[in-house]
Amino acid sequence: MKILVLGIGNILLGDEGVGVHVVRHLEGGGPLPQGVEVLDGGTGAMVLLGPMQAADRVILVDATMDGGTPGSFQRLVPRYSSDYPPTLTAHDIGLKDLLDCYYLMGEEPDVVLYAVTVAEIPDLDLEMSDALKEAVPRVSAAIREELWAMAAEPMV
Amino acid sequence: MSTRIVVDPVTRIEGHLRIEAVVENGVVTDAFSAGTMVRGIEKILKGRDPRDAWAFVERVCGVCTGIHALASVRAVEDALKITVPPNAELVRNLMYGTLSVHDHVVHFYHLHALDWVDVASVLKANPVETSKIAQSLSRWPKSNPGHFAAVQQRIKKHVESGQLGIFANGYWGNKAYKLPPEVNLLAVSHYLDALEWQKEIVKIHAIFGGKNPHPNYLVGGVPCSFNLEEVNAINTERLNHVGSLIKDAIEFVEQVYIPDLLAIASFYKDWGAIGGGLENYLSYGDMPTRGYNDPSSFFLPRGAILGRNLNEVHDVNPRDLDEIKEYIPHSWYKYAEGDQVGLHPWKGETEFNYTGPKPPYEHLNVEGKYSWIKTPRWKEHAMEVGPLSRMLIAYAKGHTDVKDLVGTVLGKLNVPVTALFSTLGRTAARGIETQLLVHEMKATFDKLISNLKNNERRTFNPDSWEPSSWPAQADGVGMAEAPRGALAHWIKIKDKAIDNYQLVVPSTWNASPRDAKGQRSAYEASLIGTPVSNPDQPLEIIRTIHSFDPCLACAVHLYDPSGKQIHQVQVN
Repeated sequence: MKILVLGIGNILLGDEGVGVHVVRHLEGGGPLPQGVEVLDGGTGAMVLLGPMQAADRVILVDATMDGGTPGSFQRLVPRYSSDYPPTLTAHDIGLKDLLDCYYLMGEEPDVVLYAVTVAEIPDLDLEMSDALKEAVPRVSAAIREELWAMAAEPMV
Repeated sequence: MSTRIVVDPVTRIEGHLRIEAVVENGVVTDAFSAGTMVRGIEKILKGRDPRDAWAFVERVCGVCTGIHALASVRAVEDALKITVPPNAELVRNLMYGTLSVHDHVVHFYHLHALDWVDVASVLKANPVETSKIAQSLSRWPKSNPGHFAAVQQRIKKHVESGQLGIFANGYWGNKAYKLPPEVNLLAVSHYLDALEWQKEIVKIHAIFGGKNPHPNYLVGGVPCSFNLEEVNAINTERLNHVGSLIKDAIEFVEQVYIPDLLAIASFYKDWGAIGGGLENYLSYGDMPTRGYNDPSSFFLPRGAILGRNLNEVHDVNPRDLDEIKEYIPHSWYKYAEGDQVGLHPWKGETEFNYTGPKPPYEHLNVEGKYSWIKTPRWKEHAMEVGPLSRMLIAYAKGHTDVKDLVGTVLGKLNVPVTALFSTLGRTAARGIETQLLVHEMKATFDKLISNLKNNERRTFNPDSWEPSSWPAQADGVGMAEAPRGALAHWIKIKDKAIDNYQLVVPSTWNASPRDAKGQRSAYEASLIGTPVSNPDQPLEIIRTIHSFDPCLACAVHLYDPSGKQIHQVQVN
């Protein structure tokens, strides 16, 4: 089984880049099961459809402004773009739209979303807030655990 | 009666675009463009190693990633007088071609086509008739009735699921849509084919740049090594892959994109007289063939056209302190010497001065400052940038391939050359450029292979890599033609570190507010005279703004004459 862990966000915008920081942490934190690919999706949109559809399952890591406690995170299984929590994605073709592309192309996405709550996005800052810096290893550890648990499951 | 229309959302990547337009008797009579871009990048870069700048600037924009990295390494190389080896130039041109061709196709099908193609009408189409039309247009294999019937079913299922998603914001059924159902089905079918195809072409970035969406760049060359037999290098197998992706790109562009563009455009010829706007066009040029310092060698030429006079192309020198200047009378910045002066980017200042209303607000004070975008001018002229500018400058300079392609397109549509100065012209120019670029990619690839066969493998010039070899101070400018227009980075290096770094991006030229003289920039100018048949569905405004391929997402708000908001629409 091929699994893609995809971190999304803009590292120039402080906490908004948390998804990218998480996958970088995950990559640098010891071995991962076979078949796992980790990708810094950064600010890419349509170009991510290829790597996403090449995987059997996609684990997305993204920031959300859902009004919750900054640094907390949820594990969600969105089916359609409308299942997404509120993020900042309003770009012409955003990540959410890529999920719809699956259906249009006659496929069903197998996507798990780690949505990390952020409070506000600064103008331009490479530094994340303390709450989000502290969240990075926690989210990374949760994903690592899920990846190894999946690897231990018998192949279906 | 007049209605006021506004464009305003949030995007994570580049910020947002807001347009306020006054509509009187069904026609736009005035327009104001305001934008929020990632700003203050120079504050992050100041004091850093100039060789690292590309990795930061690559993230300022989600749709143009690699082109900012290219402009950045060029700026540093220009400052430090570094020439890249021939293979590095070829690889960069292949990366450039990939970026532009991918961007143009995705723009046409996924960001712009639904301004002209009615998805709802697809359900009424007769797949047999669509198949006949498709087969009359090209030899693309996916054109039998069964294929179109299957696509129609998939769209039907999608619509019935209630999860319209990507199609949710269309003005389906608006009478400004003119295509017959069968052509709508054809276009939507190719929308899906384009989704598949775009996944492949971008692999060229990963092959040469190590990864995507943010490929690696390198000051002094490209960060890849060629060894035809080596497993971990760019070897014969990987090169063959690149070759076949280019072949597929030519096939897709010539058998799908261009035939669709012509077929759709033939129903919208009236748009050859709408949305022209400015009469001045600027291109820095790109795809050097004998080095960045020899613009005469560029495949896409550099120059400026004034007053739509195609008999004269003016020289452009971004190093001349008097040519390109940025103004801020309507932008939320302040200059040390006062807000009426213009500053060349090497002397650029980035001091914020927000004087606008606290969001959310209904209207901007367009008499004062109303945008985060500065207003660049070339010799005091407002300039349009983008594929139309590039093609007009190439055409006016006598570029044979461009003249042939433009002639063919105008001939097939049976429209005069003046139809280029329009919304339709902008969209057509993008297609013409794509066709030009896929063939140039093939030629570039052949040159690269020939070099490698002759044992020319250098990809990096190490001469000025070490900061100890740098002068105490150095200035550089890195120009590039982003898919959506002229892009330049100006750098000042002092004591081995970045002292100042200024970007003037394409949307700065096109989306900026008025200058001190009240001259409109491209978006504002292009909307004047645009018809709006239904103010609740400002489809026509979106067509023209989308024809520029804005790197900013936008939404439309409508206002009645008293300033009360009557409508808000997210525009995709």
